[in-house]
Amino acid sequence: MLTPLLLIPLLGAIAVAFLKPQISRPLAALSSLASLAWIIYLFTQFNLQSGAIQFSEFHRWVEPVGLNYSLGVDGLSLPLLALNSLLTLIALYTNRNNLERTRLHDGLILLINGGIAGALMSQNLLLFIIFYELELIPFYLLINIWGGEKRGYAATKFLLYTAVSGLLVIVGFLGTTFASQSPSFEFTDLQVQNLDLIPQLVLLTILLIGFGIKTPLVPLHTWMPDTYVEASPATTVLLGGIFAKLGTYGLLRFGLQLFPTAWQTIAPGLAIIGTVSVIYGAISAIAQRDIKRMVAYSSIGHMGYILVAAAAGTELSVLGAIAQMIAHGLILALLFFLVGIVEKTTGTRDLDILNGLMNPIRGLPLTSALLILAGMASAGIPGLIGFAAEFIVFQGSFMAFPIPTLLCILSSGLTAVYFVILINRTCFGKLDNSRAYYARVSFSQQWPALVLTAIIIYFGLQPNALLRWIEPTTTPLVAELHSSIIALRE
Amino acid sequence: MTTTLKIPPSTHPYAEIIHRLEAGGSMLPDTEENLMQIIGIYKAYAVPMDFYWRDLLYIAERVFLDPLPFFKYFLPQEYLDLPNHYAGETADFRVWQKGEASAHPELLEFMDKGELKKKLPKLFHHLWHDRINMEFAEACMRAMLWHQGMGGLFYDYLESEEYLGNCDRAIKAYFKGNPLMLGLYKLFPEMFYEKVRELSYYANLGLFWEVMAPVFFEMSDRYDAGEFKTVPDAMDFLVNGIFIAAGRPIYHHVYIGDQCYELIPKSKGFMWLYEAALPYVEAVFYRTAPFRGTKSYNAQAQQVPADQKDFHYGILYADVFPVGTAGIPPTLLMQDMLHFLPPYLVDYYQQYCRGEDDMLIQLGITFQRSMYNVTSAVIQALRTALLYPLDDPNPEHLRKNRQFFEAQMDRFLRPEARLNDIQNQDYR
Repeated sequence: MLTPLLLIPLLGAIAVAFLKPQISRPLAALSSLASLAWIIYLFTQFNLQSGAIQFSEFHRWVEPVGLNYSLGVDGLSLPLLALNSLLTLIALYTNRNNLERTRLHDGLILLINGGIAGALMSQNLLLFIIFYELELIPFYLLINIWGGEKRGYAATKFLLYTAVSGLLVIVGFLGTTFASQSPSFEFTDLQVQNLDLIPQLVLLTILLIGFGIKTPLVPLHTWMPDTYVEASPATTVLLGGIFAKLGTYGLLRFGLQLFPTAWQTIAPGLAIIGTVSVIYGAISAIAQRDIKRMVAYSSIGHMGYILVAAAAGTELSVLGAIAQMIAHGLILALLFFLVGIVEKTTGTRDLDILNGLMNPIRGLPLTSALLILAGMASAGIPGLIGFAAEFIVFQGSFMAFPIPTLLCILSSGLTAVYFVILINRTCFGKLDNSRAYYARVSFSQQWPALVLTAIIIYFGLQPNALLRWIEPTTTPLVAELHSSIIALRE
Repeated sequence: MTTTLKIPPSTHPYAEIIHRLEAGGSMLPDTEENLMQIIGIYKAYAVPMDFYWRDLLYIAERVFLDPLPFFKYFLPQEYLDLPNHYAGETADFRVWQKGEASAHPELLEFMDKGELKKKLPKLFHHLWHDRINMEFAEACMRAMLWHQGMGGLFYDYLESEEYLGNCDRAIKAYFKGNPLMLGLYKLFPEMFYEKVRELSYYANLGLFWEVMAPVFFEMSDRYDAGEFKTVPDAMDFLVNGIFIAAGRPIYHHVYIGDQCYELIPKSKGFMWLYEAALPYVEAVFYRTAPFRGTKSYNAQAQQVPADQKDFHYGILYADVFPVGTAGIPPTLLMQDMLHFLPPYLVDYYQQYCRGEDDMLIQLGITFQRSMYNVTSAVIQALRTALLYPLDDPNPEHLRKNRQFFEAQMDRFLRPEARLNDIQNQDYR
């Protein structure tokens, strides 16, 4: 049941690359829509009573190496798969005016969709690595061809960092498999608990750095601001919305789930790194003059919440971590989408130049209104998904790490500070006569933002509609973590 | 020989514009595009203006001191038929050849069906703001009332015993048989006098615009007939109009029952140019007041000048967007003009910025351009009246003219002035 999620985008990518532009674009949209529809179907078939891997598919592939075609999903990966398909559809409709080489552009986006879906579904470590690395080249090309002024520099930096990330993850996986003398690279076959604590810690640290680069966590984040700023809005939606989530997904799936004992040992350190990321991201965002860079730094802060919650390892905090991944993916995608519209329309991202965009006649009133709402969601205003996710993160983490959690709560106030700065400078005030000859933003350019906004509001009012899919997986996951703690103490 | 050859060129920051004025030009650059825009907007302005002057006179003459004037904007047929003194076959002072004496057909059509193009009870059109917005005209009237000391003798007369005596008779006649209002008048006579002074300014502005409406219609007709080729042509027409109408009377009559009460008789000799046109330009084009809008002014932070003569919120300084911000024209005038734009101006706006979506802003800026041209006409008329011809052979006289022009341009040195903006065709 999961193979269509790979086949649809990959075949779509090939078809899009060879068909005429008039046909290729609807086909690309149709591919992503079909993926999304298939995931919705999977949701209807998903067993909410089970925390195990579901819809498993297994085919032997390169047996001598241990590489098998092994797929499966659970409450951790299924919502992320839905996010992946949704953001692919959004990215296909982001700022398409005057877009050149559309077939290549759309083909690469579909390829990324397939790659990320594959990584999220892989139950074989080598298969995961293949998909994990698969999207690097499409992203590199998207940044390098459709990016901004310093796109070459940003693309190369992105490739170098993420290649190192991939390398470390490979080393970590090989080490884990060989050290644990597992018969294959199948996730379910790995018996890491038999290892001594020291090798576990070494292997976990390697994976943490590998996935930490991708997330990114401070101090491994330096590729991210440049890449997010230089990439086109469509690419940034995917980068921030789902690509970075592979990092946190990896931390939870291969860090917390494979190394519960070692995880518990280093958890205080992880909480500190997460808190530093949160504070650093917020303070750096306040200092920015470029609205896209500001949103990029805000992302570092919000990914820090996920690490703090994962480190805390309580049932509620892990639930919050996954919810925060989804919430952040939606909110960040909306923010980057809207910043893309502002940049495209006004020709600038400079806070000192932009003003008065709420002007009903010459401004961008709907874009501004949605930007305000996205800022509110990111700042954790009640009624929006950001609040629900952050509240669960804080509540779940407080008992385990009270001081880091309190610092995170204080930093969430800083989120409000930089979003108030952003909104106040860009949306309010007087529209400048000398600059305000902006083209009108049509409804067709804005509907993806409206869709994202509707989801953000819906999950904000009904967080259970999201959490109910995640909870069956987090409960056994945390139970296993706690049993390993008891074993460690004994 | 041009002025600059007889005396050294000006070193004023607006030297180029001063030299243009000395050559008989306008502050607005002479381009075909500018000419088309300003004539088009004069026509669009003239139609609501035809309503403004009639209703201003109706309020001043008939509504008078009605304590609950809910229906003061519901112009009776009598005032729609009121013949304009300066237009049509029956004009007692016919200045131009064209134009109707009664209300303009486009105005009547709009009043009948409004923007909705549907005949509904008048009250519905009114509450829906699907009507001519008299609020703009009243704002202009208040600006004239409030900014005093702009020359002329009109306001001084409103303080005179003679005027108060006239008011007293009219007030008592109006409230005859109404002991409550007469009692209030007895207790607070100044309140009633002040209200009547305001009504005298209603009459003043109504009489001013009674002249201007046919002038603008005439300009539009002449442009359509190909008689205007340049911006200075349009300006010269206005200068001539100013001189022709200069001596026309400004008065205030009130009709109570069958009786006419002359609060300000024609015989007082208040002239259109000095008591209406010049104060209007000063109060409305230059000064007005910091309007309520999206930009707020903090008087305590000295964002509003202490001296009224330093006010600079008129159309010549106005930032026409965001809509509803400081200065004339507020949104309501732009909305009024929008209904009567000639087709060529609509086509023109559709080519730029957001086309129909931001036509209000575009026409607001065109209106600003056109009012710079009107102000140029006033400046040239004053120069003609008070100083020397532009082709005067005496360099000393030309220097006096230069000083006059430079003094006028000094008023546009403040950063809010849009004089620099209108030099550029891309300012829309």
